[in-house]
Amino acid sequence: MSGTTRLRLAAVAAVLLLLLVLLRGVPPLGEIPRRIRSLAAFAPKELAVRRLGGSGTAFDRRYFSFLENARRRLPQGTSVVFLREVPPDETHLFLATYALAPRVVAMGGPEPPLPGSAVAVYGRQPSASERAYAVLPEGFLMLGVPR
Amino acid sequence: MTAFLFALARVAGVLLAAFAAGWAIARALLPRGAAFRLERAGWAFAVGISLLAAFVPLSAWVGARPGWMQFIVLAGVGLVVSYTFRVSSVELGEDFGQPEPRDRRPATLVLGVLIFLGIALYALRALTEPMWSNDFVAIWGLKGKAIALSGGIPGWMRESPGFAHPEYPLGLPFLYAGIAFLTGGWDDHAMALLFPLLQVATVGVALGWLRRRGVPPAAALLAAAILANFEPLYSAFLTGLAEVPLAFGALLFGTALADALDPAETGALRRLALAAAILAATKNEGLFLAAVACAIGLALGGRRRWRIAAAALPTALLVHLLHRLWRGRLPLRDFDLGLFSLERLRESLATAAAVLGPSGGIGLALALALGLLGARRRDALAPVALAVCAAAAYLLLPAFAVRGPEWMVHTTLARIGAALAPLAAAGIGLGFARRAPLGAAPVHPANP
Repeated sequence: MSGTTRLRLAAVAAVLLLLLVLLRGVPPLGEIPRRIRSLAAFAPKELAVRRLGGSGTAFDRRYFSFLENARRRLPQGTSVVFLREVPPDETHLFLATYALAPRVVAMGGPEPPLPGSAVAVYGRQPSASERAYAVLPEGFLMLGVPR
Repeated sequence: MTAFLFALARVAGVLLAAFAAGWAIARALLPRGAAFRLERAGWAFAVGISLLAAFVPLSAWVGARPGWMQFIVLAGVGLVVSYTFRVSSVELGEDFGQPEPRDRRPATLVLGVLIFLGIALYALRALTEPMWSNDFVAIWGLKGKAIALSGGIPGWMRESPGFAHPEYPLGLPFLYAGIAFLTGGWDDHAMALLFPLLQVATVGVALGWLRRRGVPPAAALLAAAILANFEPLYSAFLTGLAEVPLAFGALLFGTALADALDPAETGALRRLALAAAILAATKNEGLFLAAVACAIGLALGGRRRWRIAAAALPTALLVHLLHRLWRGRLPLRDFDLGLFSLERLRESLATAAAVLGPSGGIGLALALALGLLGARRRDALAPVALAVCAAAAYLLLPAFAVRGPEWMVHTTLARIGAALAPLAAAGIGLGFARRAPLGAAPVHPANP
């Protein structure tokens, strides 16, 4: 094969590869305006609201709202947060661990809560026997107290 | 100014400061001159973000809260060292290194527009919302946020939680934390700016390197346009994950390895050593790539083989050792060597073929054809061999996966394989270089 033929074949292959990449990479009609609209609508809002409206919380937006409210109400120095009545899947655990970082997050936890820890109960209000530290729209917080 | 734009401007300011420091320090890595400008910009960005990542553990080590003072001291040390060990200027060859007259051919303009559109589209995808992928939330972002908000490295990161993979390197979390310390807060939306900039640096280095090595402008631009629009890598989903930085690091490493095979290349061994450290700090396979490069250097390096091997591996080993000293020896959580069987390997390969699909298969065939149509050059072989060895490892590893080969291939292969694209593009592209001699002739051959 001559050098010219080789280069022509290579040019054809490279252009085909570019077209293939473009075909795959071109976004569906409407994606770009949708992204621009979303960015324009959320950009003036605070970071937590931007995350609340984003893809990472779409599986349970109320849950993220719960985590964010809990985070804001946790006393300084809380090093561990136990989650209760949260769906036991990885996605819920991952989001909680991230939202409440740098605190350690775990499901369940001992009863009564350990000193220095907090318990975040999702999806219901406290019963008469439960001593809530903070009542949130999506659940409530309890604190571990020194024995 | 909106909340987001204000935060974005702060992140951009920090990255610009890091880039400026990197630009000055890059004098110890690349010669000056128009032929090196795009590459130097990419290396400057690599040095800058390495400083941003490195000053966090160094501050923790001396017991200080990371801040501007620590960053400036580290950058200052880098500047002094780079001034002392700067790479000599080079004598430019007769057919390269000179600014070219502005090329206004339609094909050049179209390719330029496509590169711009690819970058703009990824910037929009990356910046639409705070980084959100599962692996960002559970691994990379979690560690970065924990470091940034606790003002140091929390002890729990040594071993738990398991899903955050404590056995992974901390380079990217340190980089996130470094940006947060210098901007004064954790903003995982504005911080996504890092990713389109990594894309720009990757495309810039690929284009600049291919041009410097004598690849015709149209061919180099084609490679850059393919990379800029490569959605399997530059997607909203991969924003925040280690694949985009790994792709950048692998490109730097592969090009430095190809350069290092040429005795006339100035600074190539230093670039190789730095890129090896960046790779090892980004993902565990960085150490593997460094070992493979060491073997490639020994096989292809001729008289320089031992110097190449000595540049490719030790810095990666050092980064690995520092991690090991801090966290102890941790097993790879997703793998068990005892699980291997031919049946599992067959399952891995079959699932990989299914994941690749018809369009992926055609793309791979076209890339293979391009590789075969290019010239058989020793230096071009190096990045291609690196990419092939990494791809082979990615196909083999699922056979050891605890959760099964099919699960591992489905969840990881497409994205980790995509991270090899810039490295492969550089190697394949170099096959079309017009010039046989590799790099510039040094004024002072004593320079490594």
